[in-house]
Amino acid sequence: MLEVRLTKRYFPFKLDISFSINKETYNLILGPSGSGKSLTLRLIAGFERPDNGYIKLNGRDITGFPPEKRNIVYLPQNLGLFPHLSVYENIIYTFKAKREKVNKGYVNTIIEKFRIADLLKRRPTSLSGGEAQRVALARALVAKPKILLLDEPLSYLDFHIKFQLMAFLQLLKNEFSPTVIHVTHDPIEAFKLADYLFILEDGRLCFEGDKYDLFNNPPLGFGEKIVKGLKIIESLRG
Amino acid sequence: MAILTSFEGACLATILGCILGVPIAYLLSRYEFIGKRLLESIVNLPIAIPHVAVGIALLSFLNERTVLGNLFLKFHITFVDTIYGVVIAMAFVSISYVITSALIGFNATPRELEMVSRSLGASAPYTFFHIVLPLSMPAIIRGAILAFARSVSEIGALLILSYYPKTAPIIMYERFEQYGLEAARPVTALVVFLSLLIFFLLLFLSQKRWASARG
Repeated sequence: MLEVRLTKRYFPFKLDISFSINKETYNLILGPSGSGKSLTLRLIAGFERPDNGYIKLNGRDITGFPPEKRNIVYLPQNLGLFPHLSVYENIIYTFKAKREKVNKGYVNTIIEKFRIADLLKRRPTSLSGGEAQRVALARALVAKPKILLLDEPLSYLDFHIKFQLMAFLQLLKNEFSPTVIHVTHDPIEAFKLADYLFILEDGRLCFEGDKYDLFNNPPLGFGEKIVKGLKIIESLRG
Repeated sequence: MAILTSFEGACLATILGCILGVPIAYLLSRYEFIGKRLLESIVNLPIAIPHVAVGIALLSFLNERTVLGNLFLKFHITFVDTIYGVVIAMAFVSISYVITSALIGFNATPRELEMVSRSLGASAPYTFFHIVLPLSMPAIIRGAILAFARSVSEIGALLILSYYPKTAPIIMYERFEQYGLEAARPVTALVVFLSLLIFFLLLFLSQKRWASARG
């Protein structure tokens, strides 16, 4: 469904990746800081141009498309909630931006599923970290994206909120089946959520497969370290 | 009449400064291009050079014998001793305030917000007018108020480029030169009072209007 084959020179490394992902799968790109994970997302979203190569969505080359024509929603680390708009205005923003009528039925379903009905009149700055995450995910889903890009969405959260939100991401995955590319450096997120895993190191993909493949055949470097770490956690659990 | 000319000129100069200055500030905030450092230096030039020199430079470039002056003449616009001259001189000396403030506003607006807006289906202009501009507006308004205040008080460039129609500072200067301190006091007091009144009124209104803009 999504085919990515591109290179991009970006100090201090060169991103050189080639992969494809299937429709309605939850894909996780795992890698250390500065490995090119966020850059990969920005290239897919259309905020950066590759030096060479292409990005194809359902067989169509979208490499030269502006971000608004790709139907790929990007959720950054800081969530990007618009602070001057209410939560409800944030959620229906996509309809206003595309000059479309608000699909109230669908919007209400999302609001209900993400339990944000009592937050609608508030401003994003008054929300807790967990509430803001739910609103941002709801807003992204309302746009019915072909692909949802999550750029380390759980990285700044407290441990218990992080697990609550992982449950919401599971709900998103089970009930709405979006195609997701989620980047993180946290292997726990990866093992909890991913259908398919990619490991990116120094701008190159050094592993792709499911979590069992990773456990059985970990690649050298970052992949090996995280499998070792996870095995220690497993042994502590007894 | 001179007070009205001052405020009319300052209003038009502020509007002109915003029309030219806000896009320049956005360009400086968001894009990397050859000559960016030079442009950054140029926008601060009006603050750095003496305003009499600004008047001389504007007169040199905009008088009717120059290419630029001739071009404007075709649209029946001349700058020597006209309200257009007053506006252009005031805009020139005050535009730096608009650009600097707008730049602070744009730099404080995270780029991720633009990215999210675009990815949700908004075009670049829609994103600018619905996300970036509202969030930067308090800073732009602060810059506009400062530019307005700076324009009202301008005299150096006006003495050279556009002595007529006379503005309040020119009247003050004339009264002082011809009749001394006593004669200059009433008009000075009136101008200072009106300037402060308008300055604080604009500041109050802008704070009230945009207090919640950033949530």
